[in-house]
Amino acid sequence: MKQLTIDVGGTFTDCLVLEESGQLQRFKASTTPDDPTQGFFASVGKAAAHFGQSLNGFLSEVEQIVHGTTLGTNTLITERGAKVGMITTKGFRDSVEMRRGIKNLHGSMFDVFIPPYKPLVPRYLRLGVEERTLYTGELLTPLDEQELRTAAKKLLDDGCTAIAVCFLHSYANGANELQAKRLVQQMAPQVYVTASHEILPVWREFERFSTAVVSAYIGPVLTRYASRLQSGLADHGFHGRLLMMLANGLVQVVDECVDRAVYLLNSGPAAAPSAATYLGALHGRTNLLSVDMGGTSFDVCVIKDGEIPTTSESWVGEHRVAIKMVDVPTVGAGGGSLAWVDSLGLLRVGPQSAGADPGPAAYGKGEQAAVTDADLVLGYIPADYFLGGDIKLDAARAHQAVAAVGAKLKMSVENSAQAIYTTINTVMANLVTEVCTKQGHDVRDFTLVAGGGAGGIHAASIARQLSIPMVIVPRVAALMSAFGMFAKDLGFEYARSCFRSQDRLDFAEVTGLYADMRAQALRDFARIGFTESQLSFQPTVEMRYADQFHEVEIDMPSETLNAQSMQELLRIFHARYEKMYTYSMNWRPVEFLTFRLKVTAPRRPVQMAASQSTSAGVETARRGSRSCLFQGGSLRVDTPVYDWDRMEPGHKVAGPALVDDKTTTVLVPPGFNCEVDPYRNLVLLAT
Amino acid sequence: MTDIDPITLSTVWHSFQTLVREMRHMVTRTSQSYLMSQLKDVSVGLWLADGSTVAMPQGLLCQFMGTKFAIQAVKEQFGDDLHPGDVILTNDPYKGMTVHLPDWGFIRPIFFEGELLFFTLVRGHQQDTGGSFPGGYFPNSIDIHAEGLCIPPTKVFENDKERTDVMKLIWNNVRWPEAVRVDNYAMVATTRFAEKRVHEVLRRYGKETVMACIKEMLDRSERAVRAEISAIPDGTYSGQAATDDDGTILDEPVWVRVDITVKGDAITVDFSRSDAQRKGFVNCPFAASYAIAVGSMMLLFDPALADYHNEGSLRPITVITPPGSVVHPLYPATVGAAPVNVGHQIATSVHDALAKARPNRAMAAWGKRRGDYVSSIDPRSGRPYVRTTFDYDGSAGAVTGHDGPTGPLSIGSLATVMRSNAEEMEIRFPWRLLKWEAATDLMGAGRWRGGGGIEWRATNEGSDGRMATGSSDGDMTPGDGIQGGYPSPFSRTFVLRDGKPIRVKPHRMVEIKTGDTVVKISGGGGGVGNPTDRSPELVALDVKNEMVSVDSARKVYGVAVDPVSFAVNETETKRLRAQPPGAWEVSIDEQKLTVEVIPAHSH
Repeated sequence: MKQLTIDVGGTFTDCLVLEESGQLQRFKASTTPDDPTQGFFASVGKAAAHFGQSLNGFLSEVEQIVHGTTLGTNTLITERGAKVGMITTKGFRDSVEMRRGIKNLHGSMFDVFIPPYKPLVPRYLRLGVEERTLYTGELLTPLDEQELRTAAKKLLDDGCTAIAVCFLHSYANGANELQAKRLVQQMAPQVYVTASHEILPVWREFERFSTAVVSAYIGPVLTRYASRLQSGLADHGFHGRLLMMLANGLVQVVDECVDRAVYLLNSGPAAAPSAATYLGALHGRTNLLSVDMGGTSFDVCVIKDGEIPTTSESWVGEHRVAIKMVDVPTVGAGGGSLAWVDSLGLLRVGPQSAGADPGPAAYGKGEQAAVTDADLVLGYIPADYFLGGDIKLDAARAHQAVAAVGAKLKMSVENSAQAIYTTINTVMANLVTEVCTKQGHDVRDFTLVAGGGAGGIHAASIARQLSIPMVIVPRVAALMSAFGMFAKDLGFEYARSCFRSQDRLDFAEVTGLYADMRAQALRDFARIGFTESQLSFQPTVEMRYADQFHEVEIDMPSETLNAQSMQELLRIFHARYEKMYTYSMNWRPVEFLTFRLKVTAPRRPVQMAASQSTSAGVETARRGSRSCLFQGGSLRVDTPVYDWDRMEPGHKVAGPALVDDKTTTVLVPPGFNCEVDPYRNLVLLAT
Repeated sequence: MTDIDPITLSTVWHSFQTLVREMRHMVTRTSQSYLMSQLKDVSVGLWLADGSTVAMPQGLLCQFMGTKFAIQAVKEQFGDDLHPGDVILTNDPYKGMTVHLPDWGFIRPIFFEGELLFFTLVRGHQQDTGGSFPGGYFPNSIDIHAEGLCIPPTKVFENDKERTDVMKLIWNNVRWPEAVRVDNYAMVATTRFAEKRVHEVLRRYGKETVMACIKEMLDRSERAVRAEISAIPDGTYSGQAATDDDGTILDEPVWVRVDITVKGDAITVDFSRSDAQRKGFVNCPFAASYAIAVGSMMLLFDPALADYHNEGSLRPITVITPPGSVVHPLYPATVGAAPVNVGHQIATSVHDALAKARPNRAMAAWGKRRGDYVSSIDPRSGRPYVRTTFDYDGSAGAVTGHDGPTGPLSIGSLATVMRSNAEEMEIRFPWRLLKWEAATDLMGAGRWRGGGGIEWRATNEGSDGRMATGSSDGDMTPGDGIQGGYPSPFSRTFVLRDGKPIRVKPHRMVEIKTGDTVVKISGGGGGVGNPTDRSPELVALDVKNEMVSVDSARKVYGVAVDPVSFAVNETETKRLRAQPPGAWEVSIDEQKLTVEVIPAHSH
């Protein structure tokens, strides 16, 4: 049976079909923001048509769909979520507004002329009630049920459709939160209720409360979407398994996701790194930079030894989201990024983007030069075959827009286009360097895997700036997230905060925490038909040196702790710390904070069909040539263009060359050679 | 001018910005001091060999904006005896041109092909620096030596090897030596990282190109800032701000006064009318005064420049600080409270003057520090602790066009320091929090109002101990509102013992007993513009949000808001706003510990 992945992005809905034979088929439809299920079924409809089947006939033969969606992120960023109320410990209702004192999250300390942070839940909908739990888990004050009912009634009367229950120290004992949640649900069964410790049972209330509020804010929208999608699929004859892509890089059945909606943030981008690990492995590479450059943003993920990193330090827009998310830092750099000259006379590109409307000047509406316009002036992208000819580009308009930037820099239009191209590459290269440094890696040890519609044009040039010798551009570059979803394991993550210094760590207590998490996992997986023998368990613990404030997550040797495994754990911690920060302090005692258990049901590995190398020359795939400008050169170079669809494994071209496809173009700049691998990916090597 | 291509220029410029961000990230990830790691009381940066600022990072103005003077001090001390792998430590306000003793700076010269090209610095507030009492901010020391260990520029690493005997001498003179050692290693490792990064940039682009780019960066920033200054009408604009007292002579305000003269494309910032150097510990050393003054000036300029400031931005600005004044004390004056007491007033007085120079880019005063140092024994571990935090400070002042946000604090740091979490406080310290919220009416009203003032209450569940309010201010001298906006309200601290409030003024040390509750009521930010010009709908929303009371809406804003529906009564509002506005002030009742709006000067 076939498997599908469907990634609903901001502009396009991507559908990938993996046939029984291991062949991949790609389909794209426009995203339909008002009801994303329409775009979803349109993309599946295209797939059905390709196979000569009706939608129902096609879907009835699909075994599994993995689905990523930008709906959660978009709902949050565009502030279209539910009216949320918050019930919290009396006396502490402002922590989500104070935001730990952060004034300017994304900008400079010298900029004070900015609007104040606007929390998702305004103050009049944040109500305190009498209750108190201590950090030990001891219940100091029971929940005042009468006060709770009064608060809930006020919020319901005000029209709240979601309520976040956020009590101090609920990670240590969730009893009061659960009691409050039950009472609210009894009063209003239709309202979406979230208890902070169920979303994130981890200490530090600002981070936990903010995450719970975000979850409540997007919860109702995602719940409605999920139910519409499920019924739509059922109506169209689908009886396979529908899995959702989660922020933490795992997939899960829909019904287990909607109560923890925050996990559906970043649901698409979280999958792209898996595509990189899969493709890297085909070439024996495990140190990978997975990058995805689309119209407005550039995402990067640093994969060391095949391990996809996660972080609990994310912000989405202006809001703190402290669940573990695949660590995909992003910067405003894409094909639509606008070029401008600042008051210092410096050329800057981005973070403002021309977006889809008006789009780059070449699209025929905008005036300002975007990266796509520079790429067009330089001859890298085809005016007549952009997105397979779906969009006709206006070369003269692009030329004019770039010339306007050049006038301010006193540079020719050609030099300005090169400057824009190099500047945006630098912005992306700097992000890559910064992300690598944070994790203590040298970027030159990595292979770049470049996805996204604009990735192929820029990847080799970024690699050259970073002294990276090898670039892989996947056949599915423009659908990288959708491809990554094939490789994801089904799973959940569990956590228990338990603050202990090294000398006061009780081995039995830790072992008990893991037993508790394992039991919860077994219950959760039983609901979706899995037994213990089908699961794999990965225990980790967050540790730090005594009195530090930032933790390092370490793999536990096992779920039971004893004197011997403790020694091993400490050894791993010191080594890891040294690697990250260039020094370690084994003379210093350590502390243990949050114990975590990741439970997965490994999925069947993807088997893609390999093709035989061809003996025919690459000229069979030649589709023409374009006149291009390259860095340092002032004369246009007649550059051969090849058709990716007609290129066969074993084909080789030397840069400069271009490879066109109906979803993207790949630039092989001078100084790079390009070879087609058995899976029709392009491998670019610096000469 | 060397002919540099614009792309290399922009690349080099951004590389240095990235570098300082990475440095800050590394040091906050690895340090253990609450102030450095959680509250971000730490600064980093990169300077040329002559002390010119290359890249301004995030940090505390007083810790890094004046580093050129510290670098000059290091060069004077060591002359040619600076070598690759050296790290120099100093915290001496006089010989090392620093702020106050707790802020230790590790300075590393960066050589390339045998030539000294750069210096890098990590400076952060240490958990302890010796002296009479743990933590810092204790008044009444007889001189700088009594305030703590005073380290002139001293080589502590040579050839990247620790001079263990020297460091042991230093650690032997601080409390919690192991903890300070952890932080010192984190700081030194961060300077080593900076050196590695700078070398990469130099190797990639070549020394000549990089140095030419830096020259061009500085020149361009200078041109841009001069153009901004030229847009301001020539003239002298004055501002002032006061701190409650100097900690030794109590209840007598100490004034910082500034005259900012704009002439063409240059600015002179003259503090000559400020008070003379004090006996108490509020004096702010010259390098720190310079730093806060020029850093505060940066708000005047186009926000698009904000990330791009460097030495060029500072060149058009001349700062005059008469020796022997509170902004330029002479050895051996005490300086323990420099950053908060006189330091914040330098910032506020400059903002006060700038609001007159560019009335459409005005910022009102921020809530003042309500700091303290509590020291006692934690019965859970039997170990001594010192607790200090920014949690209970008031919030930001309003700016033209926007209300002040509730949360951001510490104008002297331009809000780079942070608040912690109640859960973190309770795990770390034997205190239980009872309340931590914005308080109704506890901010300066205005067309754009200040961010909320904070009410904070916590009970001591540990042993008997001490609370020193050395880092508090604002009981007597709240900061101004601007253009008819109300000032930041007064602040108060109380100890509730057996249910009875005992007021504790700034710069005092009091006993704290088991079971005592400390109550801090901190005024929020000041307002900008007349409150009667505020949109009635926004006033009604503030009432609904319990940020403004129905009473204050009526008296101060001239808006009649229905207490149940929160609807604006337009007729009544029109009538109220037609009357001349009364004079009101925000007052804290010292028995009931409540906030109320009363006729001005009635107490």
